[in-house]
Amino acid sequence: MDMVAGRVWADERRPVRHIDWVLLLLTVVLTIVGLVLLHSISATTPDEAAFWLVRVMKQGATAGLGSLVVVLIASFDYRFFKVYAGFIYLGALVALVLVKIPGIGATDPSGVAQRWFAIAGIQITPSEITKVCAIVMLAAILSEIRAPEPALGDLVRVLAVAAVPLVLVFIQPDIGTSIVLAAIVVGMLIVAGTRLKHLLVLTATGLVLIGLAFQLGVIQDFQRERLTAFLDRANVSEDARYNLDQSLIAVGSGGLFGRGYLKGTQTNLDYVPRQHTDFIFTVAGEEFGFVGAMFVLLLYALILWRAIRIATLSKDPFGTLVAAGIASMFAIQMFVNVGMVIGIMPITGIPLPFLSYGGSSILVSFAAIGMLESIHMRRLS
Amino acid sequence: MSSRIKVLALLVALMFVALSTRLWFLQVLATTQFQQQARDNSVRFVYTEPLRGLMYDDRGRPLVGNQESLEVRVNRDAMGTQAEAVVYRLAHLLNVPVRMLVARLQTNRYYSFQPIPVAEFVPPHVRDYIAEYQELFPGVDVVPTSVRAYPQGRTAAHILGYVSPIFAGEYDRLKNKGYQQSDVIGHSGLEQVYERFLRGSQGIQKFIVNSNGETIRALGVKAPTAGDDLHLTIDLRIQRAAERELADELARARSGHDINGLPLKANAGAVIVMDAQTGAIKAMASLPSYDPRWLVRGLTKSEADYLYKSAAAPSLNRAIQLGYVPGSTFKPITALGALKEGFATLGGYYTCDATYTHPGDTSGTVFHNWTTANLGTMSLAKAITISCDTVFDGFGSKFYFSYVQNQLSDSGLLLQNDLRELGFGAPTGIDLPSEGSGLIPDPAWAKTRPDLFPDGWVPGGDILTMIGSTYMMATPLQLAQAYSAIANGGHLCRPHVVDQVVAPDGTVVKRAEDRCNRTIPYPPTDLAYIRGALGSVITSGTAQCSFSGFPTSQVWVGGKTGTAERPPHQDTSWFAAMAGHNPNAPKYVVIAMVEQGGFGAEAAAPIARHVIEDIYHLPNNGQGGCAVGDR
Repeated sequence: MDMVAGRVWADERRPVRHIDWVLLLLTVVLTIVGLVLLHSISATTPDEAAFWLVRVMKQGATAGLGSLVVVLIASFDYRFFKVYAGFIYLGALVALVLVKIPGIGATDPSGVAQRWFAIAGIQITPSEITKVCAIVMLAAILSEIRAPEPALGDLVRVLAVAAVPLVLVFIQPDIGTSIVLAAIVVGMLIVAGTRLKHLLVLTATGLVLIGLAFQLGVIQDFQRERLTAFLDRANVSEDARYNLDQSLIAVGSGGLFGRGYLKGTQTNLDYVPRQHTDFIFTVAGEEFGFVGAMFVLLLYALILWRAIRIATLSKDPFGTLVAAGIASMFAIQMFVNVGMVIGIMPITGIPLPFLSYGGSSILVSFAAIGMLESIHMRRLS
Repeated sequence: MSSRIKVLALLVALMFVALSTRLWFLQVLATTQFQQQARDNSVRFVYTEPLRGLMYDDRGRPLVGNQESLEVRVNRDAMGTQAEAVVYRLAHLLNVPVRMLVARLQTNRYYSFQPIPVAEFVPPHVRDYIAEYQELFPGVDVVPTSVRAYPQGRTAAHILGYVSPIFAGEYDRLKNKGYQQSDVIGHSGLEQVYERFLRGSQGIQKFIVNSNGETIRALGVKAPTAGDDLHLTIDLRIQRAAERELADELARARSGHDINGLPLKANAGAVIVMDAQTGAIKAMASLPSYDPRWLVRGLTKSEADYLYKSAAAPSLNRAIQLGYVPGSTFKPITALGALKEGFATLGGYYTCDATYTHPGDTSGTVFHNWTTANLGTMSLAKAITISCDTVFDGFGSKFYFSYVQNQLSDSGLLLQNDLRELGFGAPTGIDLPSEGSGLIPDPAWAKTRPDLFPDGWVPGGDILTMIGSTYMMATPLQLAQAYSAIANGGHLCRPHVVDQVVAPDGTVVKRAEDRCNRTIPYPPTDLAYIRGALGSVITSGTAQCSFSGFPTSQVWVGGKTGTAERPPHQDTSWFAAMAGHNPNAPKYVVIAMVEQGGFGAEAAAPIARHVIEDIYHLPNNGQGGCAVGDR
């Protein structure tokens, strides 16, 4: 063994040589697709068009900031996150509690939810950040279980840790993020090797709890109406059905090849409410048709493939679990969001990663990419 | 672990299968149905007009406001078969001739489904009657609208401008800017220049309607935002004084006679009061004028003819839109040029003969002074004080020689370049529309006028410009700008009428600042010398008679008369003045101009005198005009 060979070997293992370029490229393409779609939602009057231009630029700037976040997080060894998992987790809980306090947390214009902090004009949504914090914490606990299958006691511990942020997010009320958190927990438990029996019991318990939430009135009326509109379309008010109807018309009228960029009437005439955030996928569906919609889904599929591949490649259980958690997060958000747009999931208000307008959502998605890269880059060390 | 990852991957794959299947169903199998629904969807827009911004003078006194008018609108489509009867009933109710109503309805400015306004300011009982018997008036609506109010009446009409309905040809340009066919828009004055600030933004309500036209849902509501207010530099008190003195003097001048013994016409005039230190316009009057309230309630035929077709051209703002031959008021300005180029010096003496001939000129062209007497030699200041033409004719020859020697370069046009530097020959950039440029005669212009200059540029071109005569043209505002530069020590200030544009929430959207950032290349000693000469004009020169009894110890005044020949018309009477407590930095420049008003000292000087007296709260004295002085 000579010195030169040793140096080559060390150089070979330098993390920067192992960036997942495919993942980065996919992220960039998806972000650009998002800006293109956002730009299309410009209304007919010039006043509003200017307003939309500002939004597109703001979203672009956020994505620029997001790429810095990717570099920053990827340059950290992800195993540090394991060391500080407890602090990260507690920080997220504190933010979730603070945002409920009037005067600190800002109120939604509709007056029904308190969800964000306004710091220096930037909206920071703690429930978004909680998702990655919870992934780190759960991965830290699950990776310490040495047995091939977690024991019941371990499961209870994991569920208790997951339950606290989940409940805090749920009572915000932010049902969408609660669903994402629940899916993350399930996804990570599967990968951690939880027994099928336990998973089934867990699912049953979850359903019972949701039923209870309905009965005890924890779920607010507007949320209940959206859910029932999904289940029983004939018996709800015009208003409750409106969102879904317009969204279906938008996507359905796109046909195979779409109505052409900037030519979607549903999009341009502002028929679809909250189109820039939760319903951004309608633009792809209406203006680029089935082909365009499938192209967007393909980009998500490729990103998820890279995430799952990273989970497989990591030799360290913590890395595997973090990557699996992130994959679960992206998958459920993509599925529930697109699902609600095309009427196979209830309307819950989950942003579509990289596409929906909103600073926190974009930044958290980029942070997750940064963590995936960090794991990928250090898989050999 | 890796087998469990495969489970996760499988679940994810199932998600994609579910989504793709559903998309295939929606977009490929069922797309026809959704495309039909997309076509059936339609949006109806309902606009709420914003309140237009207001205008205030420099102390916050209201100049332009808003008032409510009950407007009768007729929707031709909705009248149905009763159209004839409805028009007849409506004419009866409004007490107007049927044919007038028909005329207003027979317009192609509106689509047939758009309501056409047919009467404004109807009394409330008309509204109540129509509401009560709506079945007799299908398609007729009485709606409150906001229209302009002018609390000061005709005052400052030219500055404020007016709004009127969008012209047919204009709409194509405006429709992308959120205007409706039935909107009004600023068509003159500040209303025109500051349209985008004053207008505010419309409120928009969007409704989704189904294919039966029933409203399904309100989409979005945007409340209207009132327009921004304008805070003017105009001082209402001085503005009123300027208008009053101008009107009084025009009337008085008409009792005088020109040098041929014919009565003076004194048909029009203008006055400008400018803050010489800042370029702020404190008053600007132009006669003949009009009443902006005519446009609010709709012009009658005779009013429209007077406003747009008559020779009096009352809609012209003569203070800024027309170039006039400036006459001898130009001498202080060309004197500065002669000093700069070294053709004259502060200590020099020049001959003021009765006639002047360009050296070496054999064409027989002779330039006359305004008097046949031979006045001997005199300083430059004296030449200004008594307005000696022949002294300036001599400087004109020198400018001409410099042109001849440097014909191939621009630097040969010393006189023309000096005048451009002082703001002549181009609009000053005031925030009012259709500003005139005036004219600086030069060889290039002479080529375009072979009727006047058959032999090209000749000495007379420069000589006549030296005394502001014949071809040279300046707007009163250009003179005000140049005199202000003399008054303030060499800063060319861009004149302006609006000091601040203030949004409804109180934030300042736009502010007039840094308007005096151009400097003219004249040493302070030259400018002080010229101011001294202008002071002598008042105390011992051509305006001595017009200003007799004026308390110059309290308020220093300097000025220059001008009597511009304008054949075949009577002479234009000019007076350009500056006044203030400090002779070294007079605060105000006052320009007065009367078309066909005779001598400068006769019509214009008394106006300037009285305006200065009004500004400084001095009693109006003096016997008025003196038919004397430079011609």
